[in-house]
Amino acid sequence: MKPAASPGGWWRRHRDNATSLLAATPAMLFLAVLYFLPMVLLFAQSLPNGSLVHYEKALTDGLYVRVLLDTLLVAAYVTAACLLLGYPVAYFLARAQRTWLAVGMIFVLLPFWTSVLVRTYGWMVILGRNGILNRALLQGGIIDTPLPLMNNTAGVVIGMAHVLLPYMIFPLYAVMKRIDGGLMQAAEGMGASGWQVFRRIYFPLTLPGVLAGVTLVYVLSIGFFITPALLGGGKVPMIGVLIEQQVHTFLNWGFAAALSAVLLAATLAVYALMRVVLRGNMRWT
Amino acid sequence: MTEAPAIALRVVGATRRFGATLALGGVDLDVRKGEMLTLLGPSGSGKTTLLKVIAGFEMPDEGEVFLAGRNVTLAPPARRDVGMVFQNYALFPHMTVAQNIAFPLEMRKVPRAERDRRVADALALVDLPAHGGRLPRELSGGQQQRVALARAVVFGPSLLLLDEPFGALDRKLREQMQLEVRRLQRRLELTAVFVTHDQEEALILSDRIAVMEAGRLSQLGSPQEIYRRPANRFVADFIGESNLFRARVVAGGYAELESGLRIPLPDGAPGPGSDIGLLLRPERPKRAADGNALFDGRIVEIVYLGETVKYRIEDAGGVQLIVRWPYAGREPPLAHGDALRVGWDRDDLHWIPWT
Repeated sequence: MKPAASPGGWWRRHRDNATSLLAATPAMLFLAVLYFLPMVLLFAQSLPNGSLVHYEKALTDGLYVRVLLDTLLVAAYVTAACLLLGYPVAYFLARAQRTWLAVGMIFVLLPFWTSVLVRTYGWMVILGRNGILNRALLQGGIIDTPLPLMNNTAGVVIGMAHVLLPYMIFPLYAVMKRIDGGLMQAAEGMGASGWQVFRRIYFPLTLPGVLAGVTLVYVLSIGFFITPALLGGGKVPMIGVLIEQQVHTFLNWGFAAALSAVLLAATLAVYALMRVVLRGNMRWT
Repeated sequence: MTEAPAIALRVVGATRRFGATLALGGVDLDVRKGEMLTLLGPSGSGKTTLLKVIAGFEMPDEGEVFLAGRNVTLAPPARRDVGMVFQNYALFPHMTVAQNIAFPLEMRKVPRAERDRRVADALALVDLPAHGGRLPRELSGGQQQRVALARAVVFGPSLLLLDEPFGALDRKLREQMQLEVRRLQRRLELTAVFVTHDQEEALILSDRIAVMEAGRLSQLGSPQEIYRRPANRFVADFIGESNLFRARVVAGGYAELESGLRIPLPDGAPGPGSDIGLLLRPERPKRAADGNALFDGRIVEIVYLGETVKYRIEDAGGVQLIVRWPYAGREPPLAHGDALRVGWDRDDLHWIPWT
């Protein structure tokens, strides 16, 4: 026999959910009014009188498609650079003792706390044709002519990777910190070499962090604006730059909105793809 | 004279310091082929450090380790041919049970077909024949333990190390797994070194027990020897429950307690004037008639333990004695404050130097 539902039973069962929902309400209202609503309005602008003209232009005009693909490619370079640079740093931080951990964290966080604009101008000083790096290399006799490090893809990737590196390091660090060191010891005891321990045990266990970091960096890269605009010198048109142009220079809000929608769709697609690719390796999580 | 048993593992003068703390203070230990030897001690006694030195995860500052006659002191863990079951099992969470067990074989480059066969054998050995495709987190604690055991023995190691493997299991499962490990070890004729802080577990599982205290071997012997004839106060205290009286040997074959109580000494006791400890296990004393009683007191505490009952008796001089007797519930129960006279054989007593 089922016990009769007591009055207040619903409330008792859902009290925890209801309370946390209440606590989250201000933030959700904030997001709804200042983020979701404008997005819907923007999306509406991309469909003047229900017409798909803007989307047709965005997806068929060779220029825009190329810029979109270039954007995805640059984002991929940036993500790869961040992963290659960030993985060892996260590993170091995860194993570091107190002093080194504090020092390392400051090195990661300090740039993180500095304005993107300031850091980008900093890179311009370093990477320019007459910049610190080129002058040092010239004076050292290592090169004869200045390296083209700015106003091209290389400069954009360097600047963006620098800005986005912490977004790779932190998810990796969080996952690495939780890995039981005994597992590596056990593998070693079973006859695995250092490389085998890494490849078979450690790296697979960090995959959730890799996925999180890669997703974060990639998604942020796709929409990046300031760094490509300044370090690309107009020669590395990324979709964010293009959208800004449509709004500010051509006052073409409808088309800008359509490009934004395409960018959002591409971002979601990339995220879904990464989940699918890595799912087979992450059944255990 | 019989031939000396073959030595599977020999530790000579193993010493390890962590800063100012001496974790191992020159431990010598021989483990015979096919025996299960337990390193027993409280936390901080150095038992885990010794195990790590044997496994190769820790380098001794001084001393040497020999496995099957080979000096492996400087060899990395991978070169020692030692199987290990870790405290938390250390199963690889991203690999299936079968992949976990296959791992040491893979590292030894065992060909695929033989690998599969041996993994299947190992799974059958630990009674999990159909669980190869599962992930560790899909198994119960006891099953995870068995997988860890299968993985530790699948490559036929010359030595099996067990680091407090039963700590995480509940009591009933623990007893079952203890017996299972013991059966497996006997069946495969494995030499095993087992670390625990649980003296009961040590008594159940071991051929021999090495009791450790503050980085040194306090006593090495069979469970019976350790229980019946502890070598010192530390072992007497640590193993089982005991009555331990400080006494001084007096003339006429007696020892005298501070309260003036005189107790006949067992054979082989030292001469008059020596300070000794007298050990009497609580199950040894029997109820005695007036004339034969060695201890005459009143019950001050009764603890019902199911099949046995423990009584704490105090005599007129304030000396307390614990006795533990089987209790079937047929005789009228003893009560608080009841007078109780007990006696024992001289040989029930064991003396140790009081240091």
